[in-house]
Amino acid sequence: MNSVATGRKLLMTFPVTALSHTLEEYCARGGYATLEKVVREMRPEQVTKEVAASGILGHGGAAFPAGRKWGVIKLNDEQPHYLCANADEGEPGTFKDRWILENAPHLLIESMLIAAFALQVRHAFVYIRGEFDLPYRRLAGAVEEAYAAGLLGSGVASSAFSCDIVVYRGAGSYVCGEASGLLTSLEGRKGYPRNRPPRLTVRGLYQRPTVVNNVETLANITGIVRDGAEAFRKVGTAKSPGTQLISISGHVARPGVYEVEYGYPFAKFIHEDCGGVLGGKKLKCVIPGGISTKVLTAAEIEPLTLDHASLVAAGSGLGSGGMVVVAEGTCMVRLLQVLVRFYHHESCGQCTPCREGMGWLHKIVDRIVAGEGELDDIERLIAISEANDGTTICGMGDAAGYATIGILAKYRDEFEHWIVHGRSKHDGRLEAIGAEWTVSEVALDG
Amino acid sequence: MKQLHAEFDVLRRRFPPGFEPSLVLPCLRRIQEERGYVADADIDELVAYLGVPRIQVEEVLSYYTQFRRQPVGRWHLQACRNVACSMRGAEGVIEQIGERLGIAPGETTPDRRFTFSTVECLGSCGTAPVVMVNETYHENMTPERLEALIERLER
Amino acid sequence: MVEIFIDGDRVEADDGQTVMQAARASGHVIPFFCWHPALSVPGNCRICMVEVEGDGTAQGWLDIACNMPVAKGMRVLTDSPRVRTRRKQMLELVTLNHPVDCGICDKAGECTLQDYHYEYNGAPSVSRDIKVHATKHHALSDRIVLDNERCILCSRCVRFTREISKTDSLGIQNRGDHSLVRASEDGAFARDPYSDNVIDICPVGALLSRTHLHQARVWYLEATPQVCPGCERGCSVDVWHRKSEWKLNRLDAGANARIDRVTPRENPAVNGPWICNKGRDLAKIFERPRALQAHLKGRVVDADAAVVAARALIAAARRPVALVSSWGSNEELAAFERALGKRFASYVKTDWLPVPGERIEDDLLIKPDKNPNRAGASALYRALDPDGRAALAGADLVLVWGEGCADAALPSGAKTIRLDAWEHPDNARADVFLPVSAQTERNGHHTNFAGVVSGFEACFAKPAGVADAEALFAMLAAVALVEAT
Repeated sequence: MNSVATGRKLLMTFPVTALSHTLEEYCARGGYATLEKVVREMRPEQVTKEVAASGILGHGGAAFPAGRKWGVIKLNDEQPHYLCANADEGEPGTFKDRWILENAPHLLIESMLIAAFALQVRHAFVYIRGEFDLPYRRLAGAVEEAYAAGLLGSGVASSAFSCDIVVYRGAGSYVCGEASGLLTSLEGRKGYPRNRPPRLTVRGLYQRPTVVNNVETLANITGIVRDGAEAFRKVGTAKSPGTQLISISGHVARPGVYEVEYGYPFAKFIHEDCGGVLGGKKLKCVIPGGISTKVLTAAEIEPLTLDHASLVAAGSGLGSGGMVVVAEGTCMVRLLQVLVRFYHHESCGQCTPCREGMGWLHKIVDRIVAGEGELDDIERLIAISEANDGTTICGMGDAAGYATIGILAKYRDEFEHWIVHGRSKHDGRLEAIGAEWTVSEVALDG
Repeated sequence: MKQLHAEFDVLRRRFPPGFEPSLVLPCLRRIQEERGYVADADIDELVAYLGVPRIQVEEVLSYYTQFRRQPVGRWHLQACRNVACSMRGAEGVIEQIGERLGIAPGETTPDRRFTFSTVECLGSCGTAPVVMVNETYHENMTPERLEALIERLER
Repeated sequence: MVEIFIDGDRVEADDGQTVMQAARASGHVIPFFCWHPALSVPGNCRICMVEVEGDGTAQGWLDIACNMPVAKGMRVLTDSPRVRTRRKQMLELVTLNHPVDCGICDKAGECTLQDYHYEYNGAPSVSRDIKVHATKHHALSDRIVLDNERCILCSRCVRFTREISKTDSLGIQNRGDHSLVRASEDGAFARDPYSDNVIDICPVGALLSRTHLHQARVWYLEATPQVCPGCERGCSVDVWHRKSEWKLNRLDAGANARIDRVTPRENPAVNGPWICNKGRDLAKIFERPRALQAHLKGRVVDADAAVVAARALIAAARRPVALVSSWGSNEELAAFERALGKRFASYVKTDWLPVPGERIEDDLLIKPDKNPNRAGASALYRALDPDGRAALAGADLVLVWGEGCADAALPSGAKTIRLDAWEHPDNARADVFLPVSAQTERNGHHTNFAGVVSGFEACFAKPAGVADAEALFAMLAAVALVEAT
């Protein structure tokens, strides 16, 4: 929990205590009043219209307008529709949905019920990564509370609207965070992503129209419907209305989850609100939005604001808001090594360019680190990345390519150094400088 | 695992009709919670109970990192090795666990008390480095806290 | 109908078609590994990428053709510079961890990967890193060996068992470049009577027949159209055997005149692109020990003497009964009718019953009647009643053409004339035995259960001293006809 002044708050609007996640406390904060209003007074199309008017973009990384996604669902088409909250949160550097699951599970539930009402969904799911144990228990507990209070199940809040929520646990696979991989996993199979067409909103879970939204995106729905699209648009920027939960980690003094109003100055956020670089060191670069976004140097972030347009214009992206701070003296070759090892481990193996390409990237970087690199290995890394750009079933291939090309574009010299001299320019350092291990200054979670 | 069938019946009713295949993951998780791993006989039983192809269950067991068909030690130490953890000392964590227990990642101690794995991002980057012990995250690891943790587990 | 353009050609595509389907229907070539006209579309190999031209306002884009719905007015390019670049990249990646051991791989010469490499890439590997190694010789079943290094994970085999043979017996374990095709652990794949189709559809040398492993290079062989005799479906097959110019000088002449393998010959009216494993094992049927000599009650005689003896028996018989082969071709059956049909009370017999463990019937290909030309024979002859007693009662001469009628079933006092291609103990007990040619040694036609007539051609020469049944019927009839007039 943080109370820094990083703009207006829409989600972190209450103090986190030992009980703030319970139904009682949530209702005391006005919880479920919006749901009551929706099921008694509104029509599904009205809800969708309000969400579309808000302009809210998806918070899972793709920043696709949520209202536009919802708009594809045809009402009254005599077939089941499904809603799924994406709580897989596997993007390295990202841990903000976890905050919502642990501290505001009822906000998610209420928002899902409002969304289910809008989309004529009778069965909704939360797909939560298998490793999240406390978040799962908090969410499952909240779901049971909601059922007991008549807020879930048959006749939600004593209305004609019925909806069940099933919390579905994953079992360890990054690509299950990709919407189509998620649904395939939810069908009890390997989390293999799917080709489009068809879009999931046309044929998704068991080939039925399905909306998959990130947890944070959904969490915003209650506020949008309660206060209206206009009020929502007053927060943030014109193109990125609202706020973003930023997860910040790495060589930063105060890592954690911060709610930031879109448009907030990037450099200020890091150097002031998050305490700057650990140990007072200089900032080298930042991975702004999860490891699949291109790295930005300390100089490059100076003029930027935390919103999608600003980062895209700078050749990167805000993505899922998973920010990793890198201090001067960190070896970018070793950093890329960690990333390509990750992508190699997580490739589902379906399509040729990713399945073969990820292993190849990993082997080349390993070989460079082992002192056996050649200068044209750098071109090869770029070529493999290019071969994965727009050729794969899902975005993971492209993501690995962006991460690789992004680091090579700005830190090519480090790779050349290691290849030519057989060792790192920065002693192969990844850890925070000057400390063997360091403990962050943030308070430990209860 | 026939004693779980009553539980599975309840679980099944929470899903819409036709969602039997979806039960594969939750049922396997539950079986693994009971037995510590999924045995071949468990697969046969689950296939019979759900009516799904056996190959589907076999594939799922091989694909997801959290499922295992062999038992692990009493304490499964899973150390994150991804970017934020690596930047806050994960390599030290991994080295310390290895030296302290005398096993490499992927191995189990001879007394079967500890299994050691390295894993990818656990979604706890803000409190890096992180070690997951069985189902629990142990965050903000330091050399001292890690030693204290292992000592506690040894008792 | 949807009008699209492929490489500048105007194409009328059907609604709901993909660009791949429209391209193939209109004679345009798009390479593919994982796509198959009879299977679902996984879109994983990425080699079928094509370019869709922009319309001036939007940029052109590339995507896989197999999953691309046709859209009115779309302009598709299958061979533009961008497509060629992508294709080459995909081929580089497909071959990255491929062992390229064509020198010892049975698929060489009919391998899609080889063909595409030479056509679309042609360059040596650009990688200096070690290839991923995997199982080289995994027994997927007792019939099929799998080389995981050669496997490109197109999933055709998996989809075949899921969608066609419906045994769900193959899958892909693990993930990433550690993925491995494996059979389910309950042995269902070994019990799948259609398992060997995966060998045909595997685009590389990953799935190979264990029987035919390393037996012959495919370019030494030629395929002759035949009809499988395994059941009354009468699947169209190709029987592969050595080309005459590649015959070896060997001690065992059998190697030059054997069935090297049997593959489906695509026939939309009968079997589509598949056959069952029984059809693969035709050598087990056709290469049983042959009857090569004529006998008179076990005493070897030359064929002419046997014919003379048979004629005498026919002339003397008061109640001659013929049991006609349900394996006979339409030509042979007609010849019998012409030559001996008036002399004999003739019935169609069941040459083959299902053997223990054999699948009787399913809704894919397998039919319960294990005789290929029941329909052709039934058009000319009555069926032998179930146990044959009524038909055979009182017969003093029984002519048994083909297999499936033991002496024990015949009236004890009756004389017997037997015509058969294969050795049986009963042959030596017949009053007259004449060896005849097998189906692979002549041309002919069968009519299947649905009335479809299929032709087959001779693959091999008849053994010396063996005649076609068709010719023998005429010779046997020579005296009988004289008798009748």
